[in-house]
Amino acid sequence: MRKILKGILGLLIGCLLMFPVFYGLAGAFKTPAEFIGWPPTVLPQSFANLSNFRAVFTQAPMLRYLLNSLITACLTSVVRLAMALLAAYAFAFFEFRGQKVLFFLLLGTMMLPADTLLITNYQTVSRLGLLDTYLGICIVSFVGASQMFMLRQRFLTSPTAVREAAQLDGCGDLRFIVSILAPMCWGTLVILFMQSFVAQWNTYLWPLMVTNTTLMRTVQVGITMLTTIEGTNYETILAGSAVAMVPAILLFVALRRSMNRTMAGGSTVG
Amino acid sequence: MRRAVRFSVKPYLYLLPMLVFAVGFVYYPFAKTVAQSVSVVNFRGEITGFAGLENFRYLFSRREFSIAMQNTLKLMFINVPVTLTLTCLLAWFSNRRTFLSPVYETLLALPMTVSMPVITLIFKVLLNPSVGFVNYALGLDVGWYTDRHTAMAGILMLTVWMGIGFNYVLILNAFRGIPEDLMGCALLDGAGPLRMFFSIQLPLISPTLLYVVCTNMIQAMMTSGPVMILTQGGPSRSTTTLIYLMYTAGYRSANYSLAACVSLVAFALTFGFAAALFLLEERRVHYQ
Repeated sequence: MRKILKGILGLLIGCLLMFPVFYGLAGAFKTPAEFIGWPPTVLPQSFANLSNFRAVFTQAPMLRYLLNSLITACLTSVVRLAMALLAAYAFAFFEFRGQKVLFFLLLGTMMLPADTLLITNYQTVSRLGLLDTYLGICIVSFVGASQMFMLRQRFLTSPTAVREAAQLDGCGDLRFIVSILAPMCWGTLVILFMQSFVAQWNTYLWPLMVTNTTLMRTVQVGITMLTTIEGTNYETILAGSAVAMVPAILLFVALRRSMNRTMAGGSTVG
Repeated sequence: MRRAVRFSVKPYLYLLPMLVFAVGFVYYPFAKTVAQSVSVVNFRGEITGFAGLENFRYLFSRREFSIAMQNTLKLMFINVPVTLTLTCLLAWFSNRRTFLSPVYETLLALPMTVSMPVITLIFKVLLNPSVGFVNYALGLDVGWYTDRHTAMAGILMLTVWMGIGFNYVLILNAFRGIPEDLMGCALLDGAGPLRMFFSIQLPLISPTLLYVVCTNMIQAMMTSGPVMILTQGGPSRSTTTLIYLMYTAGYRSANYSLAACVSLVAFALTFGFAAALFLLEERRVHYQ
């Protein structure tokens, strides 16, 4: 009985937290008059009003934008996590000169407003000949200090015995990372992948700067293009945002089970 | 705590890829910012002379700067403890599974998939003083983003909301990583849920908490997007943050050296706070 009550309480809290998003999604089905009408409503008069969505897909090549975003978000996250994994491994399992300095040097990359770096990075990317390419969109986001930091925290809590046993067995560093450490921290890795994916999926300013052909735009840039065509039309933007949000949510639901996987217990037993 | 031995070139090798990109795409452009901060810079962003610390003196003498500084610190010192407490409570609450766990765990984590401009736009509509749903549903007459007494509270609500999903998932993951037998022993010793939380669970998830506090602190210090969309720093500068000041007084007015000074100050402050947190790590954070 208490469990049922607790479950229902959890559901209520969850719905309350997500209310703004539900409200926004419902707004995508509203007509302009409904949207600013009084009294304000949560649900649209009918969910059959798809004109906003039609506008999203006809005013811009939205499918192509979605594909571009998918490619860049995946590429960025994979590279970022791979580099962060290596760096975190060095920080957690080695003791070396300059360890603290290097750690703070990398952590410091999070403390600079990205926009102060835009102009110089544009020049660099242009000099590398990467304008209007996927790599050009991704390359400035390859440094994932946040992910490195979290993985270090995770590694430091993993039992020392695991690495010692692996070393005794003559297991090299890379093999240890790939076949023991990564599976052990799989939950954390998946969460960080998701975080990284969403962050890249949602970047706007940089992809706008480095792409100049329509075919290379990403979905967030596409959404803002909806504003310039018809003036600020909240319903259309919300519909565009809803379209942009769906892939991230789907990925999230698909990965949810793996996020919960922790193998801290049991790894040194047997 | 730290394991491993003797000098080896390996750790440097593993750090190399990340360092290369950090230098190439963060510190190299940052060096230009540093140079601009001590120079005379024209409206095209070209350095035309040396200014010493004159730019900083000018910045510190401006009233906007001290207001922006206060606002940023206020935002950070409220945001971090609120986010931490809320996410800890939520994760602690959902640690033990119930039949509805998959549903509400997903709901509580989903904010991490929503982009900043989108949720900011939604908050703007929801908290509109005249046609917004929140005032209507709760029978309030609050100006939210249009009133200088409530604008900062409105920004805080939004930034806390944005931080919940990701931090919740991480902390929940940490809770579930605590070995069962440890909890079982404490239970046998007759520890109540509060005792369990403070003397077993909290120390064991402290590495994750350090991460959460540190990254939230950095994000709060860098707050600018919501301010730009919702309030443009107003009303009467009540929501002007350091980074927002960097845009308006700096880039938008083509005063590049001023922008560089502001970002340097923000960097130094944030770095100082992070260093302080890591001093705390050595005493308070418990690694297994």
